[in-house]
Amino acid sequence: MSSNLRDGLKRKVEHLRTLPSSPAVLQPLLELLRLAPDKIDLRKVVELVSYDKTIAAQCLRIANSPLYGRARPTESIRAAVVSLGIQRVEDILLTCCLHKFSSGTKWAGDPLVFWKHSLGCAAVCRELAERIEFSEPEKAYLAGLLHDLGVLVNSLAYPEEYSKVLAEAKAHGVPLVEQEMKDLGFTHCESGSILGATWQLPKAVNDVIAYHHNVENAPEDNPLVALVHIGDVLCRLAGLGYGYEEWRSVELAADPAWEELAKYSPRLKKMDLARFTFDLEAIVPCVQALVEGVFSAKPEHSEVESPS
Amino acid sequence: MAGEVIPTVLTTPSEKEDARDPVYLRIRDLVYQTSGIYHSEEKLYLLVSACKRRMASERVAAKSGRKYLELLTSPGYKETESRELLNEITIGETCLFRSQPQLNALQNVILPELVAERGKIGFRRLKVWSAGCSTGEEPYTLAMFLLEQKGKLLKDWEFSIQATDLNDRSVEAARAGIYGDYAVRNTPEIYKRNYFSPGENGKLVVKDEVKAKITFTRLNLNDDSRMVFMKGMDLIFCCNVLIYFDMASKRRVVQHFYSNLMPNGWFFLGNAESLYQVNDQFRLVHLPGTTAYRKGGTEPGKGGMA
Repeated sequence: MSSNLRDGLKRKVEHLRTLPSSPAVLQPLLELLRLAPDKIDLRKVVELVSYDKTIAAQCLRIANSPLYGRARPTESIRAAVVSLGIQRVEDILLTCCLHKFSSGTKWAGDPLVFWKHSLGCAAVCRELAERIEFSEPEKAYLAGLLHDLGVLVNSLAYPEEYSKVLAEAKAHGVPLVEQEMKDLGFTHCESGSILGATWQLPKAVNDVIAYHHNVENAPEDNPLVALVHIGDVLCRLAGLGYGYEEWRSVELAADPAWEELAKYSPRLKKMDLARFTFDLEAIVPCVQALVEGVFSAKPEHSEVESPS
Repeated sequence: MAGEVIPTVLTTPSEKEDARDPVYLRIRDLVYQTSGIYHSEEKLYLLVSACKRRMASERVAAKSGRKYLELLTSPGYKETESRELLNEITIGETCLFRSQPQLNALQNVILPELVAERGKIGFRRLKVWSAGCSTGEEPYTLAMFLLEQKGKLLKDWEFSIQATDLNDRSVEAARAGIYGDYAVRNTPEIYKRNYFSPGENGKLVVKDEVKAKITFTRLNLNDDSRMVFMKGMDLIFCCNVLIYFDMASKRRVVQHFYSNLMPNGWFFLGNAESLYQVNDQFRLVHLPGTTAYRKGGTEPGKGGMA
């Protein structure tokens, strides 16, 4: 990417920070995410979640989804934080914050599709991490959730151009990243990592944003990049992509990301990948129902949104 | 994800409930180990209703899932009852155009690639094998689908389909090619119009131009002396057949399939069937909404970029 292009992109991303819908809890939440889990005060998390009532209501609905495997629904935020754990509630809160951040603004494409892909990838990455005994399954979730932050950036910063990119990619059944390079000269990896850097996301997560389509050039010692790459491909081929089929075949075991991840989680090579793929059948409808239930409901949200 | 499995008996809410009973997870795992057919959480209710139908049968008369699992694992019963259960699981799966994701992948990914590759060497022939073709639904689907491509992707191409089954009566019925409403419930109208003629009692009869593309023969997949002659295949389909084989025969049969495929050839199983621990030469390939297995080629297979 040329330096001119990069400067222009940076200015666009800077501009995004002034969005009227940017929720007040986003900054303090991002600060919390930088802390080690054992340094985080439970009360602080409960306070953040409760701060914005739309966000609080969405968080509770997500927390009660079967995706989180809870046996009994919870009605209080404190109970959700206690039973799901601080990290998971932070992830949920971040999802709702990002949703609010990006709503009420002109989007390229269908925002629900973006959320389905993001939440789907998060769930698949966590599931994969657990199956292969990856050291940090919760981090896998966060990285999966944020890996396409750049799609959100592109959708908001370039609504018109990006609508065309999405339409072209869909018409030809090609991966989004190829169409972006062709039409924009940069990809969501670049735009996403610029926003990630200004938000000071943890480096491991920002690496995922920047390199999940380019695992071979990722910084060393970060298996999260390979893991999210695999989770992303699985989601896109399981119907949780960008609202269209990418007509291609993928042999995951021959993908460089596979070897890379196996270095850190040797169980990957013994995993029954076919069975894992069948199991995703159960995740897909859960994610779809969750996103439609939480993010497409209009009435209770409208009272909070008032972009001037 | 993959094509739908349509239950022949409507499931009741209680079967959704029962799907949470851990005993059915154990039956699910047992079925997967012995047959290679897998029920994800999403499809577990189908397994539960298959079990319930068996449990209600006179021969079994089991009152609970736990009792039924005991029967499925007890010496003297397990072989026959496992087979009955598999019959119950796969019943209703035999219809034309059963797996749309498989056909979509053929049309949009596999055929274009094959055509491009072969085009280079000017060899325009496609050989397909439907192994365990039952009463003909699968080979006819493939023949109609490929005929439909003759005007497009497969212009100037020839193709032939070998359809084999162990059962003489199935092969006879397949040759006749007469289907009722239930068998054609997933068949798109355009195919019904172009490739069938009306038969007796409202049934549909496959037209001769479709039949001409297929050779039906009786073949035992365990017959090594005949398996070695099924050479030069580009695509092999073997859906819900291997599930009845024990591990040793499964391995032997799949090895034959592997040898009989051309380099870079494709092998397709039924929905939710897997080759895990059966064969490690075939490579698992992900396609939109489905998976398939692929033989290695003379050049390295495509990895998953992007």
